[in-house]
Amino acid sequence: MTTEQPRLSYRPALPVRVALSLRSLLWIGPAIALIVVVVLWPVVVLIHASFQNIASDGFVNPGTTTSNYSTLWQEPALAGVVFRTVIWVVGVVSVTLGLSLALAQLFNQRFPFRRAARTALIAPWAASVMMTALIFRWALDPYSGPVNVILHALGFVKMGSNTADWLGRPGWALFWMMVVAIFVSLPFTTYALLSGLQTIPDEVYEASRVDGAGTWRTYFSITLPLLRPAILVATTINVINVFNSFPIIWEMTRGGPGYETSTTTTFMFILKQAFIGESAAMSVMNFLLVIVVVLLFLRATRWREAVNE
Amino acid sequence: MRTRKFGVRLAVLTAALAAFVVAAVGSATAKTASKAGGTVTLKLVVADYGTGAGNTSQKYWQGIVTAFEKQNPSIKVAITDISWTHFDSEVQTMVQNKNYPDITEGDYFSAYAQQGLLYSAGQVLSNAKNLLPVFASQGSYNGKQYGMPWTTSSRTLFYNKKLFAKAGISGAPKTWANVEADAAKIKKLGDIGFGLPLGPEEAQAESLLWFLGDGGNYMKGGKSWTINSSANVAAFTFLKGLVAAGDTEPNPGTVDRTPLWEKFAAGQVGMINGSPALIPIIQAGKKLTSSQWASVPIAGKNGPLTDTLGVCDNVAAFKSNKHQAQIKKFLDFAYQNKYQLAFDKEYDLLPATVSAANALKSNATFGSFIQALPHAVQYPSNTAWAQVKTDIQNTIGTAVSGSPSSVLGTLQQTAQKLGTK
Repeated sequence: MTTEQPRLSYRPALPVRVALSLRSLLWIGPAIALIVVVVLWPVVVLIHASFQNIASDGFVNPGTTTSNYSTLWQEPALAGVVFRTVIWVVGVVSVTLGLSLALAQLFNQRFPFRRAARTALIAPWAASVMMTALIFRWALDPYSGPVNVILHALGFVKMGSNTADWLGRPGWALFWMMVVAIFVSLPFTTYALLSGLQTIPDEVYEASRVDGAGTWRTYFSITLPLLRPAILVATTINVINVFNSFPIIWEMTRGGPGYETSTTTTFMFILKQAFIGESAAMSVMNFLLVIVVVLLFLRATRWREAVNE
Repeated sequence: MRTRKFGVRLAVLTAALAAFVVAAVGSATAKTASKAGGTVTLKLVVADYGTGAGNTSQKYWQGIVTAFEKQNPSIKVAITDISWTHFDSEVQTMVQNKNYPDITEGDYFSAYAQQGLLYSAGQVLSNAKNLLPVFASQGSYNGKQYGMPWTTSSRTLFYNKKLFAKAGISGAPKTWANVEADAAKIKKLGDIGFGLPLGPEEAQAESLLWFLGDGGNYMKGGKSWTINSSANVAAFTFLKGLVAAGDTEPNPGTVDRTPLWEKFAAGQVGMINGSPALIPIIQAGKKLTSSQWASVPIAGKNGPLTDTLGVCDNVAAFKSNKHQAQIKKFLDFAYQNKYQLAFDKEYDLLPATVSAANALKSNATFGSFIQALPHAVQYPSNTAWAQVKTDIQNTIGTAVSGSPSSVLGTLQQTAQKLGTK
């Protein structure tokens, strides 16, 4: 669609021309104002805050400083936190994507009650993530959690013991939190892929059948390549979401013991309790990190070609 | 044409909305303390000590305020009662937005004294000497007292007599060796031997109680940090052994005080360090009768502690609304013995004034706590403590799973960087 400016038969005076070009501002002005106030301004404030010397009760001491960043670099927990964040994002996103590909395939088939099944898939998405995380935390309670009751009955764990305290041991806590993160990420990803599947024309499949391609051949040579735009969009959005994911970790372990189940997002929040400037520095790092990761990912996958195909 | 008009309308609407938002924000920051017709309204912000709707601090303070307003018709007091979980952040938000309260009761922020926002105790109390002197340094800045203790508490060791009898243990533990042996016996019954809450909620208190048992502390003489002193490392090395043997709840670094106190109240924990605030939880649990638990001095390495941790919650009076005379009238009224004692009776806490403490000395429940008060050990009183404390709360629990010396060493480094001012 092209939008045509009304043509004038004469060249108007400069002020009129300026006024005319400003006319468009009237249309996009509110949107720009919204983006500036809600998106850009907080980023500016955040970056500004990361260079301020802020006392733990919020008083801002005069002058600017880079000490927030140097303190952050020297934080002994930082390396572990960053490493965990990588595992968290890569693990959750890749498993989610793998499962969603299978689920999308399933939901694309015709079967009785398909509509009901598709609707049911929305549940983890519709429920508050915080609630889901809380339910899992209770289910894993070392003294009374149903998961442990079952495992106890099967003879795998002893109630109230270290083995039943899943969320108290950093490794297992991370595992269970990733399970929850995958659980809540599945619906969106599956729907994104499902809509991608539905755009693949039947003729392509017919042609491949005529050429004698088997099921797996068809999947890898036709479905997956044609699904690429959907996969790219789903991955990008998931990476950002999972990276910024806060409620799951906060509700299940508060990032503890110590910072041993923290990602950069929860670490930033914990720092904010007493080290506001350092927390702002961590926020800026998070912001840059997510932008860089997404840009690298999009570049590596040459998304322009894929999405414009 | 139609759409264009719509665009104009939209723009006008947006502008109007923006103007409205600005106006709303403007009016919200306008001074709320009013001076209509010679009447002054004091803004009193208090933390809530209640365990339910029946005994909120709002109720307690309303009793004082009603009596006070009767005597002083020209002063009104507006009470804001905030739950403990949100108290710090709400007070900080008020101050950051320059929407100052006149009086707060709860946590005290020495930084506000540093910023010159507060009246000193002498400016708003006729008899500031009646405040328990042991807590004076805690609320002082540059030698002047700004934080006025309102209520205090001290720590003791609570133990479950029922479990002790069942495990065949004769008396309360006095030494760390007793603790270890008794906890192992109770663990065999399938219960938690020693409840060790090293999660973020109050890890700094639990840790200090163990440090004291070995003659350690966070600071030496208020001048230098000693978080990784050999006594402190030894205390955590002992705890690490206790945890490894399974004599505590699993993974103490992830367990907070309140849930563990509730487990003690439910009769599932043999021993736990507590304050008088644990008593109402035990009573509410209805599992342990008063003869089935007891509270004794905390076990130390070679014998019970003579000095225990004492903490206080403070009153602070803000200068910004210039209500000094009215604040003084109200605080003199509120600090009367009868209100101090009513507070302690309602919430199982200890008084903060000399006269009220004297009145309670022979009380059966509180007597032993009161006698310990004058020797109470305090947290450091410097302005860095708030940050050091948060760091301790978040990380010290890993010292029982990792290496005590390296965890305490890291804390020491952070504390040293923050200084001792």
